Amino acid sequence: MLFRSLASGISTVKLVRAGLLYRNLVVNRYCPARNLFQSPVLHHGEFEWTDPKSEDEVVNITFIDKEGKKIDIRGKVGDNVLFLAQRYGIEMEGACEGSLACTTCHVYVEGEHFDKLPSPQEIEEDLLDMAPFLKENSRLGCQITLSKELEGLCLSLPKITRNFYVDGHKPKPH
Amino acid sequence: MRGSVRLLTKRYNSSSSVCPAAVESAAHAKVDSEPRPYAQVPGPKPIPLLGNTWRLLPLIGQYQISDLAKVSKILYNEYGKIVKLSGLVGRPDLLFVYDAQEIEMMYRTETDAPHRPSMPCLVKYKSEVRKDFFGRLPGVVGVHGEPWREFRTKVQRPILRPAAVVQYIQPIEEVTNQFLDRMLQIRDEQDELPNDFDNDIHKWALECIGRIALDVRLGCLDPNLADDSEPMKIINGAKFALRNIALLELKFPFWRYVPTPLWGRYVKNMDYFIEICMKHIDKAQDRLQKKLDAGTPESEFSVVERILMSDPDPKLAYVLALDLILVGIDTISMAVCSVLYQLATRTDAQEKMYKELKKVLPTKDTPLTNNLLENMPYTRSFIKEVLRMYSTVIGNGRTLLEDKVICGYNIPKGVQLVFPTIVTGNMPEYVKDPDHFYPERWLKEHKADYYRHPFASLPYGFGVRMCLGRRFADLEMQILLAKLVRSYKLEYHHEPLEYKVTFMYAPEGPLRFKMTPRDD
Repeated sequence: MLFRSLASGISTVKLVRAGLLYRNLVVNRYCPARNLFQSPVLHHGEFEWTDPKSEDEVVNITFIDKEGKKIDIRGKVGDNVLFLAQRYGIEMEGACEGSLACTTCHVYVEGEHFDKLPSPQEIEEDLLDMAPFLKENSRLGCQITLSKELEGLCLSLPKITRNFYVDGHKPKPH
Repeated sequence: MRGSVRLLTKRYNSSSSVCPAAVESAAHAKVDSEPRPYAQVPGPKPIPLLGNTWRLLPLIGQYQISDLAKVSKILYNEYGKIVKLSGLVGRPDLLFVYDAQEIEMMYRTETDAPHRPSMPCLVKYKSEVRKDFFGRLPGVVGVHGEPWREFRTKVQRPILRPAAVVQYIQPIEEVTNQFLDRMLQIRDEQDELPNDFDNDIHKWALECIGRIALDVRLGCLDPNLADDSEPMKIINGAKFALRNIALLELKFPFWRYVPTPLWGRYVKNMDYFIEICMKHIDKAQDRLQKKLDAGTPESEFSVVERILMSDPDPKLAYVLALDLILVGIDTISMAVCSVLYQLATRTDAQEKMYKELKKVLPTKDTPLTNNLLENMPYTRSFIKEVLRMYSTVIGNGRTLLEDKVICGYNIPKGVQLVFPTIVTGNMPEYVKDPDHFYPERWLKEHKADYYRHPFASLPYGFGVRMCLGRRFADLEMQILLAKLVRSYKLEYHHEPLEYKVTFMYAPEGPLRFKMTPRDD
């Protein structure tokens, strides 16, 4: 009734599928696809939650947190630094989940590794401009993908990322 | 690259007071000096200053109000960096903030689900009229809190990561080529485009967004469309939406209380858009099934297909497509009207752009690639400069979710904040020579001197609620400029047009550009 005007010309099947008639009958035609898609692109962070399959894949990196504490992490080729950090409870917020809309995964890339990273795109550079306490070696963690070349990568977290945390608020990953 | 970062660093340091100062002011406001009460925030006491303009203030956000661009500037000149507009009938107070540091602080401290008031018509349609269809996750436009966050999380990476747009370069270029051919054909004997050329810009925007959100060429740019053809019906639907949302939300908001005939037509029109979205998304789903069966590699999946893969319920893709179409036609086409008008009236800048494009694209028909598009800094800066000086969306808005101290005043939750990017992007303390149209200010080597506060000009907003269509909007505009300016010259030989907010901030009047092919 409510949908009379809309329903005219649309088959019942489609309405069912759209959840207009029986929401519970939605057909999950793509269950197998779940398995096809192990990519970090689609399910943010899922890929980073899998361990390296062999030693060849391993990329060891180190985070230095706000207090100067070093945390060693065993990552793998293809890992996104933001999602990897979240897996290991590093305080990297990533409020926009790596969609390049904020600066809350701002990191400093220590030493020679900085030059090994591909240059930032203009979008990342524009955002870095907005990051508090920008330095020469600033990058956004969500734009760093681990490769063998980055073995030994050392990343320090800035004192302030998104909030000013004056009230002791701790960021939490999403 | 090193060099550029160093420049950035220098730039940031030159304004390094920005962030720490904001920290200090935020902290000090709490500790050292007692914030002043909300009642003392300056602003016009009764409404009369604005005459009846207050009647036209039902929404802040995506869509803007008749003279708000001017009103906003007047308020700033009259009252300073924070201005309260209270006593509005049936709606919360509006608080205009013209302080880039405070705006920065507001963006940085917002929660993971900021509340952005917008489009009451659409809110009613989604949450009441078609509640059954939209269900628990009604999309991103006009949605807030947890349902907004959940939906956004599902769609933002497929649609915002820069790699997502790369595969649309070629399709958008194709649409744009057709648009340019059409422009050539509709010129009069003086090589000028017709009075209603803005209609064709709308059609181009519709064709682009259809290609992205529905994975289909709708055919809106085809010549001689029959009245009952799908593209014509969609064009008319989009036109209806554009014109009548303004009427419904600005002039005749009675539908909020009683179902008016205009409201009835609005609902019918929206229903038609849902129908179109479902039809094309279902077709996309069939194609996806075939691709899956054929073992097509992941890199070849479109945005729509990725969305369909990520959720078993196609509703996600229907609703996303609807949102993208609803906000992706008029925003971009109005911005393009503005960009083309500036291009046609600024011949020096156009020549510079042409020189850059000629270098990057050796021939007129050199196909665009991501790499080539990244190598057009002047062209990209031109767009940024138009959006700084003539921001199509004149401001962004947030409903304050908790009490806050802003500019030294206690502001209670529930107040609607307005960040008028069109005013802050033109304030001399944040932007050097703001009245000077100077695309070069956005280039790495000048940015430090010419654009002093990174939160002054934010036409797309910032942070977790940044414009979801931003990547595609930028891509569409850049491709249009690259193809147009590489091959043609655009001029304007009539009375200057005035910028007005009819719906968005754009030049008002016929865009009778003269379009002539370049020799080389």
